[in-house]
Amino acid sequence: MSLPHISAFYFASIALVLIGLYAVLVKKNILKMLIGLSIMETGVNLLLISIGYISGRSAPILSEGIGPNQAVDPIPQALVLTAIVIGVATTAMALSAVIVLYKRYGTLNVEEIRRLRG
Amino acid sequence: MNELMIMLFAPLLAGFIAWIIDVRGIREAIGIIGAAIPLGILIQYYSTITGSNPHVEYSLSVGGFKLLFQLNTINWYFAVIASLVGVAMAFGMASTSRNSYEWLFALMSYTGVLGVFLSGDFVGFFLFWELMTFASFMMVLRRNKHESLKYFVLSVIGAYAMLIAIGIIYAKTGALDFASIRQALYMDAMVGSMSKSLTALVFLLFITAFGVKAGAFPLHVWAPGAYSEVDQSYTTFFSGALSKAGAYGFLLLYILMGAKLYAALGTWHGHMMFSYIIAWIGAITVVVASFLAVLQEDIRKLFAYSSVGQVGYILLGLGVGTGLGITGALFHVLSHAVFKGLFWLVVAALILRTGKTEFKDFGGLAEKMPVTFAMALIAVMSLSGIPPFAGFASKWLIYEAAISAHMPLVAGAIFLGSGLAFAYVVRFLYAVWFGQRPSDLEDVKEAPLPLLIGMFILAIPNLVFGIAPGLVTKYLNKLFGQTVVGGTYYKLVTPTGTYNALLVTVLLIFGIAVAGLIYIYGAKARRIPITNTYQSGNPVTEDYNLSIRRNFYRPLAEALEFWLKYSWDRFYERLAGMFEDFADFLREGFYNGNVQSYSWYLAIILLILALWGVL
Repeated sequence: MSLPHISAFYFASIALVLIGLYAVLVKKNILKMLIGLSIMETGVNLLLISIGYISGRSAPILSEGIGPNQAVDPIPQALVLTAIVIGVATTAMALSAVIVLYKRYGTLNVEEIRRLRG
Repeated sequence: MNELMIMLFAPLLAGFIAWIIDVRGIREAIGIIGAAIPLGILIQYYSTITGSNPHVEYSLSVGGFKLLFQLNTINWYFAVIASLVGVAMAFGMASTSRNSYEWLFALMSYTGVLGVFLSGDFVGFFLFWELMTFASFMMVLRRNKHESLKYFVLSVIGAYAMLIAIGIIYAKTGALDFASIRQALYMDAMVGSMSKSLTALVFLLFITAFGVKAGAFPLHVWAPGAYSEVDQSYTTFFSGALSKAGAYGFLLLYILMGAKLYAALGTWHGHMMFSYIIAWIGAITVVVASFLAVLQEDIRKLFAYSSVGQVGYILLGLGVGTGLGITGALFHVLSHAVFKGLFWLVVAALILRTGKTEFKDFGGLAEKMPVTFAMALIAVMSLSGIPPFAGFASKWLIYEAAISAHMPLVAGAIFLGSGLAFAYVVRFLYAVWFGQRPSDLEDVKEAPLPLLIGMFILAIPNLVFGIAPGLVTKYLNKLFGQTVVGGTYYKLVTPTGTYNALLVTVLLIFGIAVAGLIYIYGAKARRIPITNTYQSGNPVTEDYNLSIRRNFYRPLAEALEFWLKYSWDRFYERLAGMFEDFADFLREGFYNGNVQSYSWYLAIILLILALWGVL
């Protein structure tokens, strides 16, 4: 088989999610946690895309010679488009929150920023 | 509109009108009229109730539920007592209440109590039970938040216990009205489809529910605070009638599930197990509450504990379980309602006229408030069980019942309780009414007229049912359909003894007359200073100055020191504290403000769900 087996995509994307989760759970620096979140998000997107992949078919764009039966599943692609936008928006918002946190506390270590507790 | 409904909702309606109009004078008049209507209607029903078919019914459809109200031999009796006390309360409140808020909720709880007594099914019973609790809670809330919270929490525990019990009964019998439940559970006693442990659970839940309201040990802790932290005229109703809802509940337990409980729980040393438990709850309540009442320095607290103790007698009488015991308990429901109601009105008058509540501030008021003093004397004699007052007849029946049912320890407990009751009322009598008068009480006036009318309303039954106890026992005989207590109106005859109230009355009057003659024509009376009377020539040191007004029973308190260390009040407070600490610990531990911890929780939960196979 010339194409890599489909489970390699699954493996890699789940691995990306786990790497991101690791960063979120273990790293103390908020920026690193955010990087972890971004990695996780990438992994999730890749996972979604690879779920829709059907071996040997082309992109789901209706054009000459390519009908609904020759294309991969279009629904995950639409979902991922939405998810990317949401991901960017949340990342941007989280980054602005980090800026505010740094101004307020002078540190980015989560252990030290503990005055959020209620 | 049926007359039962008019009777039921007249107080509530009057309360609302009084609350809206809120003009001094008018709201009092409306309140008294609203309180008097139920009594009037109930008295009209007397001939029906004592007739051949004592049963009046009315059903009301509310929101898909059919509420059944009925009037038969037993709940007429309870309703009359409640409305008698209710009228007295209304007269008392006309003098002591300061705002329309109190009128609204006092009359609302009156409707609640009547509804509890008149309900023929558990839906109405529970609804009115909660109305009663809510209204009395609002009355306490007005004066004291902490005490009202205590009352609220215990009431809620009781209410949920009752709701669960009702739910179990409904699941097992499919009925909510008392007649069907009674029949179904009676059948079930033979079939036994409801398991033993489930029956025991229902029993326990009902005991909790009714025990809270009756103030049974160890659920009595709300009573002293709640009784003393409301308008004392309202306490007349609170302790006189509202606590009887608990006693009525225990009686209902007998009527509905007596056979089933007997079949399921069996006997213990020749007594029915379930009633034996009730008898002991009553006995412990009597002893504990009476001891605590003796040691109080505040009049309101004293009578609050005394109320708890006296309701213990009722439970004890019910717990004896024989016809005689239940007759005695029901008689005591009446006599406790009238004498304790009278006591609270006297206390209301004292607080209204002097503004003081502790024994150390009182003294020598008999000359200043002679009518109130006479009323207090009647109440004291009735409570401590001096013939010929109502309190004697009822306690005598309970003693007879306990002795003839062969329960020596229980009987001993009530003997002890009676001795203690005498100890605390004597102190009340002497410290408040006799002796040296503090100088700031020189211009105390007699209690106002409405309050006096209220006292008269309650004092008359004390005397009438004391001299003619047969009036009550003859009525109660109808309940059993046979003669449990024989005799005439003036004479009670039980299997073990006879009490001739008229003879005792005549002898008492004769004795007082002789004593009076000796007093008038006998030895010359010499006025002595108050400090001469009880020191026996020994100088009194300041740190051990026991006068009738201060620390009078301190030697008793010292003797009981070991037992007084244990207090259910403190136990509950500590329990609440422990819960609070535990919740705090959980909060501090888990909700620690660290973003990363929350991520961990999320990851762990997701992992658990994944392993579980949900994801």
